[in-house]
Amino acid sequence: MNDYILETEGLGLRYGAFAALGSVDLKIRRGSIHTVIGPNGAGKTTLFHCLTGERKPSSGNIQFAGTNITSQAAHKRVAAGMSRSFQITSLFQNLSVHENLRLAAQGRDGLGALSFWYSDQHRREHSDKADEVIERIKLGAVADTCAGELSHGQQRVLEVGMALCSNPQMLLLDEPTSGMGVDDIPVMTQLIAELGRDHTVMLIEHNMRLVMSISDRITVMHQGNILIEGDPDEVSGDKRVKKAYLGESGS
Amino acid sequence: MMKQKRSSLLGGVTLATLATVILMPLLLPSATLATEILIFAMAALACNLLLGYTGLLSFGQGIFFGGGAYIASICMIHWNFGLLSALLSAMLAGALLAGLVGALSIRRKGIYFVMLTLSFSQMAYFIAYSVSDWTGGDNGLLDIPRPALTLLGFEISNLVSSEAFYAFVATLFMLIFIFARRVIHSPFGTTLVAIRENENRASAVGFSTNHFKLLAFVISGGITGIAGALYAMLLNFAPLSNIELQMSENILIMTIIGGTGSLFGSILGAGSIVLLGDVLSSVWPRWMILLGIALIAVVLFMPSGLWGGLGSIADRWREYRRSKEPEAKSREAN
Repeated sequence: MNDYILETEGLGLRYGAFAALGSVDLKIRRGSIHTVIGPNGAGKTTLFHCLTGERKPSSGNIQFAGTNITSQAAHKRVAAGMSRSFQITSLFQNLSVHENLRLAAQGRDGLGALSFWYSDQHRREHSDKADEVIERIKLGAVADTCAGELSHGQQRVLEVGMALCSNPQMLLLDEPTSGMGVDDIPVMTQLIAELGRDHTVMLIEHNMRLVMSISDRITVMHQGNILIEGDPDEVSGDKRVKKAYLGESGS
Repeated sequence: MMKQKRSSLLGGVTLATLATVILMPLLLPSATLATEILIFAMAALACNLLLGYTGLLSFGQGIFFGGGAYIASICMIHWNFGLLSALLSAMLAGALLAGLVGALSIRRKGIYFVMLTLSFSQMAYFIAYSVSDWTGGDNGLLDIPRPALTLLGFEISNLVSSEAFYAFVATLFMLIFIFARRVIHSPFGTTLVAIRENENRASAVGFSTNHFKLLAFVISGGITGIAGALYAMLLNFAPLSNIELQMSENILIMTIIGGTGSLFGSILGAGSIVLLGDVLSSVWPRWMILLGIALIAVVLFMPSGLWGGLGSIADRWREYRRSKEPEAKSREAN
């Protein structure tokens, strides 16, 4: 088995003359927590969207678990074992926490969920998966509450939980702590660290304390390209990183 | 708040529906009126699958209704189709038309989707108008038979009396109602709700949402096609107005007034509109104005329709009772 679960080669995305992504070669090791950081406009989210299939890259290719997924549709990548969370919380607001997770588990069936002739209670596996994830993300007390009534912190946790329901090999988390209060961040940090034991996790994150404490590997992006990559110590000591964040490029 | 109600297929709402279906001909002045209500309840139910459960506002329902009416009538007039085979062809025609309209319309979202269904509706009207050899054009199709109900060669009922026809339509309605309950509580139905709630998320967790929307269209179209065929058999006549935009509007209005996202609401919606029309039209020829006022009132004051409105009145009543209870108890203690 290949050591890397995800590899990109010369990945680029241009909007007209503007290159949102230049040429990115990223390798993510199986079982690691790999964080992508960089100042605003560095191309992190664009990279993320290319990996999840929301945007189609204009050059380069993406290998996931040994297959080329460069032009595969987003919903098919879920069945292949890739699962994502959103930067802006995106839940089924009027449905219960349990139903949110059950639907997310059902998503892995893909077109199998088109079956309209039997009850959804008939097959317990999705419901059981939802129960299992609820326990894992510790939302048992609010399992029957509508997702829209949860606190922001709980919604962010549910957001990550949704990604867990499809038994993914790899989790892609888009700013999991976005908008979270200081009190909630340790909960999320612990959750991600825990997930990192069973899954490969790639995340985009701004909270440096979280990034430095849980990442196995950090990639710093700048102006659509990879600036440097290394472990937390290497990255935090690098001069170029500081320069990029202070914005000496004049752009 | 939409909390998923989990009741068995044949209990709860289904029993309430069965009771309504049995009581209706006894309480209403004629079985024909009751039949008309059930036929439109069927169409509203199908519309509800799209609007209430999937979040798709389709102006195409009249196409499937009129299409079902024409196909069943043509099959019976020209090729001597029996009752059940005519209904089956209407269902297939409705499903096929819905498949076509759906497949093209769901390629766009929001207002553009609505505009596409609207355009299809107009196009279908003019097609029906111009192929008058088959549809009778402006005059409609006349002398549509109502064949006897036969099973395996045995005649069960000739369906000539309006009561017998009501019983037949009511049985069919109950079957469709139970089928629709099964659909909304299946993996497919719960996925439709997910699409209504948040299509992007639904797609991110792995559902290819267009396939689901398309199947919702096909099921909705099939049921609407049956309703159209029954309507032609009820009137012995298939007017051009069956396929007019106005028919789509009527079906939508019934669905909205009854309450989107509740199957029983569709009966309430169809019942109130058909009844209002029947009563008001004999009082005042401009009764549509009153219907307009009623619609505005429901949308303003009962945004979740009659069914939701009844529900919240019941909730308030219970709260009122609860607030009175301690008083009563303290009085008793004294």
